Amino acid sequence: MLDDARIKELEEKVAKSKEIFKQAYDRFKPEEMRLIWSGGKDSTLATWICRQFCEENNLSMPKAFTIDEGDAFEEIDEILHTYEKEWDLQLDWGRNDDVLEAAGHTLNADVEVSKLNERNQAEIKRIGFDLQKFPFEAESYVGNHLMKTVVFNTYLEDNGVKAVFQGLRWDEQPARTKDEYFEDVDAAELTPAHTRYRPILHFTERDIWDATHHFDIPYCPLYEQGYRSLGAKTTSTKTCDIPAWEQDLENTVERAGRRQDKEAAMERLRKLGYM
Amino acid sequence: MDKKNVILLTLDTLRKDVLGCYGSDAGLTPFIDSLCEKSIRFTRCQAIAPYTQASFPGLLTSSYYLDQDDHGKGKTLSPARVMISESLSKNGIVTAAFHSNPYLCDLFGWNRGWRMFYDSMEAEVSDEVPYIKGGEINKKVDAWLGSHAGSGDYERFFLWAHYMDIHEPYVPSKEHVDKVDSSINLSPQEMFALFKDVILPRDASNPETVALLRKLYMAHTIEVDEYTKEFFSILESRGVLKDSVVIVTADHGDEFGEHGGLSHDGKMFSELIDVPLLVYAEGTTAQNCDALVSGVDIPPTIAQLFGLKPAQAFQGTPLLPLADYPQKGCFGEAMGKKGRQKETDRPVYYYRENDLKIIYEEEPDTWHLYDLAEDPAEKKNIIDSAPAAGEMKEKLKPRIERSR
Repeated sequence: MLDDARIKELEEKVAKSKEIFKQAYDRFKPEEMRLIWSGGKDSTLATWICRQFCEENNLSMPKAFTIDEGDAFEEIDEILHTYEKEWDLQLDWGRNDDVLEAAGHTLNADVEVSKLNERNQAEIKRIGFDLQKFPFEAESYVGNHLMKTVVFNTYLEDNGVKAVFQGLRWDEQPARTKDEYFEDVDAAELTPAHTRYRPILHFTERDIWDATHHFDIPYCPLYEQGYRSLGAKTTSTKTCDIPAWEQDLENTVERAGRRQDKEAAMERLRKLGYM
Repeated sequence: MDKKNVILLTLDTLRKDVLGCYGSDAGLTPFIDSLCEKSIRFTRCQAIAPYTQASFPGLLTSSYYLDQDDHGKGKTLSPARVMISESLSKNGIVTAAFHSNPYLCDLFGWNRGWRMFYDSMEAEVSDEVPYIKGGEINKKVDAWLGSHAGSGDYERFFLWAHYMDIHEPYVPSKEHVDKVDSSINLSPQEMFALFKDVILPRDASNPETVALLRKLYMAHTIEVDEYTKEFFSILESRGVLKDSVVIVTADHGDEFGEHGGLSHDGKMFSELIDVPLLVYAEGTTAQNCDALVSGVDIPPTIAQLFGLKPAQAFQGTPLLPLADYPQKGCFGEAMGKKGRQKETDRPVYYYRENDLKIIYEEEPDTWHLYDLAEDPAEKKNIIDSAPAAGEMKEKLKPRIERSR
């Protein structure tokens, strides 16, 4: 059980998040905004706070958006489907069907670049690759770009989305420590201009679990099995077999499995001139 | 060399010929040169490959790049390779690694067998300096030594440290550039632009630009000499230097237009394959060893220094005692990549015996033979005229067949 001081601290953190939602609502209409909701612990908390904020202020909820990379945990899908109904959300699903079809919906299958549509081909060039084919796998840099970034950008463009809420946190990994509560992203080649709000940046992993339990927020059962962070099914790994919140959160690394590592490694190699 | 610990310091991309102790008169490396007073200096050490991911299997697993099907983009080091760290830790020796080369990170399986493994992959790096600098590596080493060997009564250890600072992009500090050529006045942005516009496209067409790049490279060499000096002073201040054998070497060199290119691609010429190798220990007197040795000899040497039998999987030969080292040729192999490795790249191999070096490229199907005594720059291919060509081919062929 949490003591009163801790509960007060969590309530203050939730209040801080609501301020960020307020800033976004002051600038954008609900239909221009989207909650990025992966079904993981962080974006679920952000979604829960957003609902409270909207109820308290008699505002309508933004739609939620989730990306299906073709390698999702069934348990995550179930959370999304269950709480879409229970919380009366409108949830849009984004997918790169062109790549999925070219890969025959099979992980590790080779994708022939020439069989992809123009947009996907242009994206591959844009990130600096000159490939004939690439393996369709969650760990592949190209695959990740096509299945996530491209889907995200295309969705923003097609739906006139001007702002998104992301469930990122400062303590997730060192690369995040400079993130700000909101960031205006300028339009660039194949990227529409938009604003990113990060209402739960100040929550630590410990805060997430304490808040989730204290406020009775739903969470995916995989965390109970030992997963700390959920990404693609084939690349997320358990850190150990005890529930995430019972692990040594303060002294060990939260990682979404190998994809994050691979991205970091590929980025380094690229900077050294190997990509 | 009967010492308690072994320390391996590898300097990424360091050409042998920029060091004073290997004949350079540019005065870039006074500290490394001074180590020779207490070292065995190997005059003909060969890297087994011209780039990190093909060379390090030799330096840390005593095996060759194409031995296993674990080469290529994003693949993980095969468990069939035995890392020196695994072999030592099984024998109760404490192992620690500090480096910043993404090819050798935990994701690619190089974390096996280390009690302490730092690969810097969680640190943030910039485009101009896309790795953790040598000074930071030194701080980590110092902190680790403080915790491990602080008391004086400590378990013997194997420590590996690796500096990336010579590797492109060449964006040295003004202070280091001035020591090479004070007339160079380039901003970091301008130096970085050379990386983007000249090195990445491997454009060696302008000799002046190539000469300029070489000077920037030399400035980084001065920087790495300073880190090496600091490294040794840390070993000294932590009280472990007197009880350690320190091996200093490089994984490969770098090209400045010698064979039409830049950086370090899949070529087997001396500017990429000739590397320094010093085996330092207090109490040793300066000596030279002219035997042809290579990266695969490092892991068995380390095992031997700990009084252990080298792992069966190791393909190299212990360097010590020098008198027992056999006279033999040495091999190397890599993929004939240019910049990024592609699936269409084909292997390239070399075999060197005495002063003869034969190179075989699968794509295009080409043999080269050079007599390094007469033609150290490897400009004159004598494959069609040299009487030894047939014999040299036969010696390299089994290597080529095995990975087909």
